[in-house]
Amino acid sequence: MPRSKMEFGRYMRQLELQDWGVEGQNRLGDSHVFMAGVGGLGSSAGIYLAAAGVGKITVCDSDRVELSNLTRQTLYGITDVGMPKATLAAQRLKAFNPQIEVEPNISEIDHAVAGGLIEGSDLVLDCLDNLETRVAMNRAIIAAGIPMIYAACSELTGHVSFLHPPETPCLECFVSRMPPAVEPPIPGFTPGVIGSLQAMEAIKHLVGIGETLKGRLLVFEGMEPRVDVLEIERDPDCPACRGLS
Amino acid sequence: MVIYLRSGGKLRDRLKPDVDIYTRKVEVEGTPTLEEILEEIGIPDGLVAFAFADGKVRRLNYRPVEGDVVTLQPPVSGG
Repeated sequence: MPRSKMEFGRYMRQLELQDWGVEGQNRLGDSHVFMAGVGGLGSSAGIYLAAAGVGKITVCDSDRVELSNLTRQTLYGITDVGMPKATLAAQRLKAFNPQIEVEPNISEIDHAVAGGLIEGSDLVLDCLDNLETRVAMNRAIIAAGIPMIYAACSELTGHVSFLHPPETPCLECFVSRMPPAVEPPIPGFTPGVIGSLQAMEAIKHLVGIGETLKGRLLVFEGMEPRVDVLEIERDPDCPACRGLS
Repeated sequence: MVIYLRSGGKLRDRLKPDVDIYTRKVEVEGTPTLEEILEEIGIPDGLVAFAFADGKVRRLNYRPVEGDVVTLQPPVSGG
């Protein structure tokens, strides 16, 4: 049963969803999600994970808040400029839902530490902002066998997929090109939409409802607007998951 | 053979659409790969991360078939 009457009341509207119920809520409450990055995607996804009652969330980001972040990184305000994002995000999410545990981590994610950071997590959310770090996290989830909800965005374009190799392709099966070194323009609503979809995928998986984007890539084109859900296949020559079975 | 290439965002400027604001009609000889087609029409290496056609993600070694509508995706990695 949910841990208290107050908790039951808080989650009542989602508990009523078909196949969610008290059991699903307890599965969510027993889950540990590692959020890699709390920028635009992480601000959006983190609020929905916390609100839904994910029992433990680790927020990992080595960056500090910059003025130009504020159009899209909605966990932060003007007085936060210069402060560490992970520390602030943990405070804000905990204030949003005091019934959950939120742990900040200001480590810089790279190949050397990624595996250790996600140890003990049930699910990773890729809310990162560059391909190099995404590749490090991709290699870590393959080694650990932990599923990851991949999301990325720039301009009005966004991608979301559920990665759990070898059951699904890994990130490097379909994304290999390095983007240009310049930071792309991005309005706040793009990570808002894509981070929300990322949270939806995470919560569906943890509660055990519906179908996830396993083996599929959701492509959002806000300018048209248009959404495509595409089949993706493992690349037999993938440098990361080749030979994994 | 005629194929149609689509794109949004910054790639649209390089694609030079002529069918509608997102789509360019391209005539190709033989069965070249998507990478070869992009090179032929002057879209530099690195501007396209992958493409999709007929509901599937396609890598750049994909060989389009007659009438294919191939949507180009730029590298997207922001967060």
